Amino acid sequence: MESIKMKLIYPKWQKLRGQTTFNLPPHGPVAFAATLPDYVEVSFTDENVEAIDFDESCDIVALSTMLSTQVKRAWAIADEYHRRGKLVIAGGISAMLHAEDMVKHVDSLFLGESEGRMDAVMQDFLRGELKKVYNYMGQMPPIESVGPCRRDLYKRDLYNHKGVPMVDLFHASRGCRFSCYPCAVSYLGGRQFRPRPIDKVVEDMAGIDNNRLFIVDNSLAQNKDWERELFKAIAPLKKKWISHTIEDDPEILDLAAKAGAWYVYQAVYDTSDYIKERVKRYHDNGIGVEGTILLGLDNQTEDDIKRLIDFLGEIDLDLAEFTVMTPFPHTKGYDDLLRQGRIIDFDWDHYNAGQVVFQPKHMSPERLQELYDYAWQSFYKDESQEAKMFNLFCQVALREMNEGTYRPRDRRLMNQSFGHAVDRSKRNVNT
Amino acid sequence: MKVPKAYYDEIFPFRGQWDMPSACGLKIREVEGKTVVIVTEMYQENPGTSVTYAGRSLAEQICEAKGLQLSDIIYLECTPDTNSKLSFYDEEYFRVDFSGERPAYTQLPAEEVHKLLRS
Repeated sequence: MESIKMKLIYPKWQKLRGQTTFNLPPHGPVAFAATLPDYVEVSFTDENVEAIDFDESCDIVALSTMLSTQVKRAWAIADEYHRRGKLVIAGGISAMLHAEDMVKHVDSLFLGESEGRMDAVMQDFLRGELKKVYNYMGQMPPIESVGPCRRDLYKRDLYNHKGVPMVDLFHASRGCRFSCYPCAVSYLGGRQFRPRPIDKVVEDMAGIDNNRLFIVDNSLAQNKDWERELFKAIAPLKKKWISHTIEDDPEILDLAAKAGAWYVYQAVYDTSDYIKERVKRYHDNGIGVEGTILLGLDNQTEDDIKRLIDFLGEIDLDLAEFTVMTPFPHTKGYDDLLRQGRIIDFDWDHYNAGQVVFQPKHMSPERLQELYDYAWQSFYKDESQEAKMFNLFCQVALREMNEGTYRPRDRRLMNQSFGHAVDRSKRNVNT
Repeated sequence: MKVPKAYYDEIFPFRGQWDMPSACGLKIREVEGKTVVIVTEMYQENPGTSVTYAGRSLAEQICEAKGLQLSDIIYLECTPDTNSKLSFYDEEYFRVDFSGERPAYTQLPAEEVHKLLRS
C-alpha cells in the first residue's frame, strides 16, 4: 500500500490582549489524525507554539480549524502551500461553520466527523481524484467508533509552562440536546446528546499519560444516568479534570468530586441567589468554579453589566472568563442579528469573542468594548489571572499529593513557557 | 424547546446548506389576492440549517414545491414563542425581500401578522 505523508496544521490566531495565554494541546487535530488509515504518516504543527516549516516534505496538507478567528490564517497557509504545488484539505469546527468561504481556498473540504471516512478520502487522493467537498453534514458516525486520539503527535515540551504540563483535552460525548442562543454546537454535532460508551471512555482516559485533563464536552449535564455512571467509572483512574457544567444534583456533584473534578466552567448569567448557591454547591464539594460571563446580550444594559461584575465578587469565583456576544454563523444569535441588520463586522479575524462585531441593543459597540475591558480589569484588580490560576493549581497539587498521584514538574523546562525562554527572576503579571 | 403546532400547517422538509436535511414549519395563506408564505424556525426539530441561513434557497424550494413564483409572494420568517424563560426566544416576524444581492429583512409586529392571518 502506497504511503502518504500528511502535514497536519493547526493555524495560529491572535490571542486576546490582557489575558494570560495558556496553549493547550489542541484536541481537534489529534482526534482527526486518529481517523486516518495506517498508511498515512502524519507530521503535526500547532502554529500557536511553533512556526510552520513550509519546506518540510509532504504529499498533502491538512488544516484543522476550531475557531472562527483561525479561518483566515488557514486560507493564508493554504495559499502558501498552493504556491508550492501542494494540495490542501481542510476540516474542523470552523471549517464547517464557514464552509462557504473555506471551500474557495482549499482543494478539498471535509464536512462532518471523520471516523470511518478517511480511508476513502485518502484513496481518492492516491488516485488523483480528491473531491472538492466530502459532505457528511448531519451524518454522524456511530459514536462507538470514536477512539483514542493521536496524542503521540504532540510535541509535549511546547505545552509546558515552567515545568508544569498543560492539561490534555478529552471528550466523553459529542453533540448537545440544548440549542443555546450563542452556540453552534447543535448545528455541528447534532441536536442530540451522543455519549461515548463508558468502557471506551475509561479505556481512552486510562491511556492518556497525563493526570490532569480538560473534559471538553459541551455539557456533562445532559443525561444524569450516564453522568452518574461516568463519574463512578473514571474515579479509580484518579485523574483530576476540568469540565463544563455538571448536573446540579447533590449525588452527581459528590460523585464528580470523588471522580476528580478539579474545577468547572459555569455560566454566570444573572445575579440571582440560584447562581450564588450553585457556585457554593460546587465549592462545598471541593470543586472550583471559573465563571463564564457573556456580555452584550440584549437583556443587558450598562448598569446590568456593572451589577453583574460586582456580583462576581460576592460569589467567590476562583476564576472568571469574560466574552462578548459574538454572532457565530449557524447560531440563533447570528440569525437574529442578521435579520435586525446589527452585524457590523464580518471579518472572521475579529470573531474571537473579545471584539465587538455587532450593534448592542442598549449601548454603542465602543461602550460594550470598554465594559468588556473593564470587566477583566475589575475582576482581576486585586489578584492577577495568573495568580488565581496558581491558587487553583495549588489546590489540585495538594489533592494529588494526598492521593499519591502528584507528578513533580519537569525541571528541564523550568525556564521555559510554551517553548520560549522565560526570565524567572522577574515577576510576570498578566502575561 | 417544542414549537407549538399553531405556528404551522405542515412541516416542510428542505435541503439546507450543503444539502443538510432540514425542516421548517410552513403556512401559506391567500390574503387580499396575495400569497403569504410564513416559514417558522423549528429549533430542536430542525436537524439542519436555520430558515434564516437557508434564506433564498428555502424560499425557492417552497415555491418550486408549491407552484409559486418568488416574485409574487409575501415571504415571512417566524421565530416562534417556545415558552422559554429567555427573551431571545420570543415570537418575531420578518418580511424578507430577496430582490437584492442579499436578503433584506423588515420586522413586522406580531399583532399585524396575526391580523393578516385572520383576514
